[in-house]
Amino acid sequence: MAHRSHAFGIVAALALGATTVAAGDFAYVTNQNSEELSILDLDARKPVSVVPIPGKPAGVAVDGAGHVYTVSPDSKVVRRLDSDGAVLAEVQLDGGPIGVAYDADHSRVFVSDWYNARIWVLDARTLGVLRMLETGSAPAGLSVSGDGRWLASADRDSDQVSIYALEGLTLHRRPTVGTRPFGLRFAPDGRLFVANVGTNDVTVIDPQSGETLATVPVGERPYGVAFARGRAFVTNQYADTVSVIDLAGLAVIETLDVGEYPEGIDTTSDGTTVVVANWFSNTVSLIDAATMTVVGEIETADGPRAFGTFIQQRN
Amino acid sequence: MRQLRNILVVLGLILPTMTLAHGPSRQKVTVTTEVAADPAAVWEAIGNFHDMNWHPAVFETQGDGGNAIDSIRTLVLAEAGGPTVTESLYKYDADKMTYSYRIDDVAVEVLPVTNYSSHLTVKPRDGGGSLVEWRGAFYRGYPNNDPPAELNDEAAVAAVTSLYEAGFAALVERFGAP
Repeated sequence: MAHRSHAFGIVAALALGATTVAAGDFAYVTNQNSEELSILDLDARKPVSVVPIPGKPAGVAVDGAGHVYTVSPDSKVVRRLDSDGAVLAEVQLDGGPIGVAYDADHSRVFVSDWYNARIWVLDARTLGVLRMLETGSAPAGLSVSGDGRWLASADRDSDQVSIYALEGLTLHRRPTVGTRPFGLRFAPDGRLFVANVGTNDVTVIDPQSGETLATVPVGERPYGVAFARGRAFVTNQYADTVSVIDLAGLAVIETLDVGEYPEGIDTTSDGTTVVVANWFSNTVSLIDAATMTVVGEIETADGPRAFGTFIQQRN
Repeated sequence: MRQLRNILVVLGLILPTMTLAHGPSRQKVTVTTEVAADPAAVWEAIGNFHDMNWHPAVFETQGDGGNAIDSIRTLVLAEAGGPTVTESLYKYDADKMTYSYRIDDVAVEVLPVTNYSSHLTVKPRDGGGSLVEWRGAFYRGYPNNDPPAELNDEAAVAAVTSLYEAGFAALVERFGAP
């Protein structure tokens, strides 16, 4: 019996392996123009459902545990959704909420206020406002570092980023970057990559020292940054391309054609696939991170922005 | 000429101090038309970045000529000394019959948009003739919260749509419907 159940275990593992060749990930794509959330099955490469999200949603963040945060700048509403898109909590803010990031260690979410140079700190479960942080002018993208140390804000009209210590939420540094930084993200190794739409480059920063480690020229109007396989992938809105930066050499090693006005970008949990939201084309492009080729496309609703982290496994 | 007046409407509005920011929600417009002439003939007429005279709203195209990337043109609208729009070319592909440009400078009283970019493309039409497509992506003219009606998202979409439709009406008149 022992032998037989062992054999069965192997067969089951193989079968399971076959169905989870991809990571079981879903993409939660905010469609700003149609005011909807597209839930995409990335393994099956097809849409699962489309959920109404009023107020022109742009910012999105996932918590890795099946919950999704969306930010609607028109109605100034932040929502917490379950993995089917049902609303679990929502809060009405003022000003111009746009970007959002999730802080797992402290169960908080951060939301940037485009119009009032500040960040809301919200309780991740209730969305109650805990406090505010002061930023530079027109904060847009937010990112929390993987090591749990830093929160960074791209202060677009101040040409700087604000870096806060997550412990205590004190301002740590305010390094100057390129012109009009909008999207940014911490690399797995802790360095901060900032996409500057005005200077068509990416500033790479050491968050501890605040020093600029490199400035990497990319395509026209870089917008979002994601990481996979030791590489950074940067969407270039006006070029309709993704620039691939080698994280060791900090130079562009490939440029890929994607859909029109590529914006939000994120990576599957197994690190194999990079997903790009094409705002004008109403699609996402799927990029094989190893071969640096576009391997598929999935339809979205109208105007996918997916500005933030938007891929997670469905619980 | 009704569209022209729409485009050139002067709002007579004193704007409060603006930040550099833009509206929260980028808008998109796609307008297409079909004409009887083949794509090469249509591209010949509209494919030169420095000749926008095919558009009835344009009185004159000023610029250094050529279709090199980063080339800049200034459109003089309606009449000599009329309002101007300064635009720069950022993609040009004669084989695919498409070019892309952005507006570098325009008063929101002339066209109520900011951060405007656009693609103009000619394709073959099934059954003969050409399909012409004009696409724009832009934010509303008012960059801050709570825009006045003249500078909100709907006003921006309406102005760009009428701009494209006016140009395409002239192409249909010139080349005929298929």
